[in-house]
Amino acid sequence: MIHETEVDGVPTLLAPISGPMQAGLFFRVGTADETLARSGVTHLVEHLALHRHGQTDYHFNGTTGGVVTHFHMQGSESDIVAYLTGVCESLTDLPVERLETEKEILRTEAAGRNRAVNESMGLWRYGARDHGLRSYQELGLPALGADDVRAWADAWFTRDNAVLWITGNAVPAGLKLRLREGVRRPVPVASSALPATPAYFAGPDNVVVFDTVVERSAAASVYAGVLDRELFRSLRQEGGYSYTAGAAYDPRGDGHAVVTAVADALPEKRGAMLGGFLDVLWKLRVGRIEAEDLAATRTKAEEYFQLPELDAARLPTYAMNLVTGQPNHTVDELLAELRAVTPADVHAVAERAMDAGLLMVPHGHGADGAGFVAAPTHSTGKVSGRSHRSLVETSETLVVGGAGVSLVREQPSTVRYDECAALLVYPDGARHLFGHDGISVRIEPTLFTLAPGALAPIDAAVPASAVVPMPARPAGNIPIPPDRPRETVRTVPRAVPYWETLLLVGLILVTLTLGALTLGALVSTLEGEPGAAGWVSTSLVGVLTLGAFAGCVFLYRRR
Amino acid sequence: MILPVTDLPPVSTDPAATRPELAALRAAVRSHDWPAVSAFLGGLDDPDDHSFVVRFVGEIGGSEDFLRTVVGQAPGATLPMTLLAARLIELGWEARSGYGAEHVSQVQFRAFHEYLRQAERLLIEVTAREPADTSAWTMRLLTTRGLELGQSEARRRYDHAARHAPHSFGTQAQILQQLCPKWGGTWEDAHAFARECALAAPEGSLSGALVATWHLERWLSMDRAEANRYIVQAHVRAEVAEAAARSVDHPAFRRAGYRAAYALNTFAMATALHGDQTAAARYFHMIGAEATALPWSYHGNDNVTSFLWFRKNARAKG
Repeated sequence: MIHETEVDGVPTLLAPISGPMQAGLFFRVGTADETLARSGVTHLVEHLALHRHGQTDYHFNGTTGGVVTHFHMQGSESDIVAYLTGVCESLTDLPVERLETEKEILRTEAAGRNRAVNESMGLWRYGARDHGLRSYQELGLPALGADDVRAWADAWFTRDNAVLWITGNAVPAGLKLRLREGVRRPVPVASSALPATPAYFAGPDNVVVFDTVVERSAAASVYAGVLDRELFRSLRQEGGYSYTAGAAYDPRGDGHAVVTAVADALPEKRGAMLGGFLDVLWKLRVGRIEAEDLAATRTKAEEYFQLPELDAARLPTYAMNLVTGQPNHTVDELLAELRAVTPADVHAVAERAMDAGLLMVPHGHGADGAGFVAAPTHSTGKVSGRSHRSLVETSETLVVGGAGVSLVREQPSTVRYDECAALLVYPDGARHLFGHDGISVRIEPTLFTLAPGALAPIDAAVPASAVVPMPARPAGNIPIPPDRPRETVRTVPRAVPYWETLLLVGLILVTLTLGALTLGALVSTLEGEPGAAGWVSTSLVGVLTLGAFAGCVFLYRRR
Repeated sequence: MILPVTDLPPVSTDPAATRPELAALRAAVRSHDWPAVSAFLGGLDDPDDHSFVVRFVGEIGGSEDFLRTVVGQAPGATLPMTLLAARLIELGWEARSGYGAEHVSQVQFRAFHEYLRQAERLLIEVTAREPADTSAWTMRLLTTRGLELGQSEARRRYDHAARHAPHSFGTQAQILQQLCPKWGGTWEDAHAFARECALAAPEGSLSGALVATWHLERWLSMDRAEANRYIVQAHVRAEVAEAAARSVDHPAFRRAGYRAAYALNTFAMATALHGDQTAAARYFHMIGAEATALPWSYHGNDNVTSFLWFRKNARAKG
């Protein structure tokens, strides 16, 4: 039985456990609440709040998730009192003198972290907003000052936005949670960067990742379990295409859950791995749910409910549900829901899962034949404004307009100022704009013919809240313009516009015609029709011929 | 069905010319008689006959509208989806044209790929619903090639098909194409596959013709002088003869099967090129009027003309 009480206005959950005491303090704030231009602020607050505990012996940690931040520890009752009291004191009085040092630590942490295979899924599904921000680096760190982190802590790390859980029968004596007053924050509404689903995009060449968003339910978790078993059996045991093949289920905190499936493969097996992966998705999509997969998944889930100290084990999940406003159910209710799941229920989930699916295929592959559409890699339109030619790619133009910027190659990449999630401003003049839709435009002034002030409209229009002043880059990171751009840099033949071909053909005809006329005029002049008029007209036609010929040469050399 | 030589209908590569039931099936498709179409395919027990007829329906011009209607009326029914996929693959190849890739325009390629993607989408669903549907898996070998899904994926699809019909000649002939160098394979792999299938198949089955096909593919890949030297070598002749002995020359050979003609035509061409006109004449006799486009398209543009030329030679010398 989980007992609910309150400590200094913070809802508190209690359930006994036999080992050392554990406790966790959840706040309903995570990366999904940030903006790209201030991303990293929650993580930074979490680090600052823990700084004063840096030298203690007990086991503690803090984790910044998508929609919750969790401070948790294990130790004696007095350790836990000291830890939680200290975290709360720090949150109301952040050691901001540590700000720059902690930013450095976060950058080091990011550099040393292995990227998860599914890390880029959010960017493609949601764009540069809410749940999509986990795909990005903590770009906002340079912009964050002492006032920003204090304001963030005051707004989000409040007693009304927190839930505490403790393994024990009673609240430890002397525990104080001195937090500011605030409001319970709802989980953000998920945005979408996908005009159509199921969609796919190309990622690294050794892995397939599928993710989908379905309503949170026992049937959905069983679907993930069945998918996990199908993938492992089909891709690893039977096919031998993959080493890793499986699926997982994660509630998103807003009544939905994300099902993620992953498989890897050696280069020579990638085609078969992708084909087998898609066939498994389709097998479940058409409702062929193997009875033994359903039974095995259910049995595994039921095992969890037989844990000896189940209530204590459930505390973190229970607390997370409470802080995100999701319902909590009794064990009996959960077991009943699990046992009631039928193959038809799993089939219904599989249909929705496929409809909402996003697939990352190995580079060089596609999934159009399996009913997936290519996710947008470019914008649908470009802005109007002043065009600037690239010094590297002759077919590339930068358009800086009043409403946004476009980098145009064969297709445009556009970021509108009013849809700009972040503008990185470098001291050397470079600008990097990120649109809410996940499209970004990087402007390297050394690679374009830019008049002074050409980028001023960008700085003038993007709101200050989206601007990130970046530190100076090492000289080696600033691109150097090529000396002879057209001959040395271009590797792919430029597409020749049709009008150039028409013009070239026309000019050749004109040259030939004028050349014939020149010859004719010259002959008739030599044949005894002397006079200034003859020479003048001959010379004139000759000059015109040379001009047309020069035009031919110019157009030809452009190819 | 072997007709007496004197009553032979004119030689044709249209199977309906020699098989009245196929003519009736074609008429049923053209008159949108789904019950008749469905009953005919339902009555075919042999996976090779089934996959042959699926492609036969796919070759009937204009059948796509009818098949789309049937698919729409019976969502999830696999036979209509398979037949529509066969038709879409055919339309795809018509859009692409059979010329080498360098002679195919971007527009043609786009249309080709779009048809194949639609076909593949249907076939994925068919094999998801009916994993034992050899015809659908065989068709998926065609989409694998057209959509360039690669060797490992072709092999995976073949393995699925073979799990349920281990000696289907039609399926084997499809992946043999993929295993050849023109589709990214190697001669060695293709040869090993052909011989393995030929030896593993029950006596009298068609798989032996894969060995002859492989030698014809090699022959075709060489310049004329080299090809002529290659095809008459003793070991080549011996390998083809050995394969034929287990296949079309075996008493258990079933001439009535729809793909039997293709196997016979292949052996006829291979033995004729060997210079073994006696064997060739024997195969031409067994073929009757039932010519097949392959392998004669390896030789010239007009398949029937090539067939008749080879047959005349064989009859004169054999």
